[in-house]
Amino acid sequence: MKLNRRDFIKISGATAAGIAVSGLGFDLKPVKAHAGMLKTRYAKETTSICCYCAVGCGLIVHTSNRGDGRVINIEGDPDHVINQGALCSKGSSIKQLTENKNRLTEPMYRAPHSDHWQKVSWDWALSQITDRIKRTRDANFETANAKGQTVNRTTRMASVGSAAMDNEECWVYQALMRSLGLVYIEHQARI
Amino acid sequence: MTKSIFVDTTICTACRGCQVSCKQWHDLPAEKTKNVGSHQNPQDLSFMTYKLVRMREEIIDNHLQWLFFPDQCRHCVDAPCLATAFNEDAIYQDPATGAILYTQVTKKLAADEIIGSCPYNIPRKAEDGTLAKCDMCNDRVHNGLKPACVTTCPTGAMNFGDREEMLAMAKSRLATVKAKFPKAMLLNPDEVNVIYLVAFDPKYYSDYAVASSGRGGISRSVALRKMMGPLAKMMRV
Repeated sequence: MKLNRRDFIKISGATAAGIAVSGLGFDLKPVKAHAGMLKTRYAKETTSICCYCAVGCGLIVHTSNRGDGRVINIEGDPDHVINQGALCSKGSSIKQLTENKNRLTEPMYRAPHSDHWQKVSWDWALSQITDRIKRTRDANFETANAKGQTVNRTTRMASVGSAAMDNEECWVYQALMRSLGLVYIEHQARI
Repeated sequence: MTKSIFVDTTICTACRGCQVSCKQWHDLPAEKTKNVGSHQNPQDLSFMTYKLVRMREEIIDNHLQWLFFPDQCRHCVDAPCLATAFNEDAIYQDPATGAILYTQVTKKLAADEIIGSCPYNIPRKAEDGTLAKCDMCNDRVHNGLKPACVTTCPTGAMNFGDREEMLAMAKSRLATVKAKFPKAMLLNPDEVNVIYLVAFDPKYYSDYAVASSGRGGISRSVALRKMMGPLAKMMRV
């Protein structure tokens, strides 16, 4: 709100009068900040897409403009053509993807037959994954089926997931899985 | 002009978007819950759950009906909790929006008396006795936004606007819905700012869906206090 000098005097005059009158015992409404300030008042707004299902609802993400830039609030984008501001319960909780103390921040590994998880490094985890994929694929790769038709596939591995991937990530993921020869590829949005 | 929320339960799918976005906007923690055989979760409102979609399975006229009721404070036009508290630092009404608001000062009130005065059994107390409930997202409303629950509702069951506009919408929806559900009704539309439209007898939805004669309202002593209110306030200042 822009105030010129005249407005300012008017407002401060009214306030002074209000205080003076209330001091005389008249019943004025309590002077309270009903509204307060929006917690998103000084936040940075970024649009995004909900990652949970194939509907693809638009989001407005409010992040702190000072310090750590953490997420303050995420709500449906009223200008988005698909959801027009609406979000389901899962979408409404999406802030928890980043702002949750129970969230995992390091890769965890549970060895075969083990009953507990242990923290491992990204390097170790990624090299283990690639190593095992390569070994399983090479050991079980079929170039042709029983009829002699070329198939170039492996049926010893399957991919299930992920609910947290968006459309574009799914495309890249699908391309990767096909290039390895996987035929069992499933996604949460289809289940 | 005061604001109202119109909740059309006939098109509510109990997705609970309202329930979660309420928690999200107010930065409220999750409840620890357990499976009791219903999708309703948690089982009741609390100091940190202002909005709850109640779910009930009822057999009405030989048909199984799964009834959804997004329960919250009704922001009464003339609120018994406000009259009972008789302390505008603790419970007051925002004249601009009509929202009934609770402050930290509610800690000083007799919590059970306030809860007992609510015909809809809404306020809940924390361990230290502070009371809490829905605030109609008064901060959002003053800044031109709809309450979080209304913004997020995917089916249009929740609506927000000027009171007159919401009353008109409620009446016109009631007329439409009556064709399919002859017993449909609005719940206390003249007394509350959160107006529900239900398809069946409100007793099926929740014990306190409609202001019950058994509880709440204004007791004689409160009525007297209310009558003497303006005088007492002058004395106090």
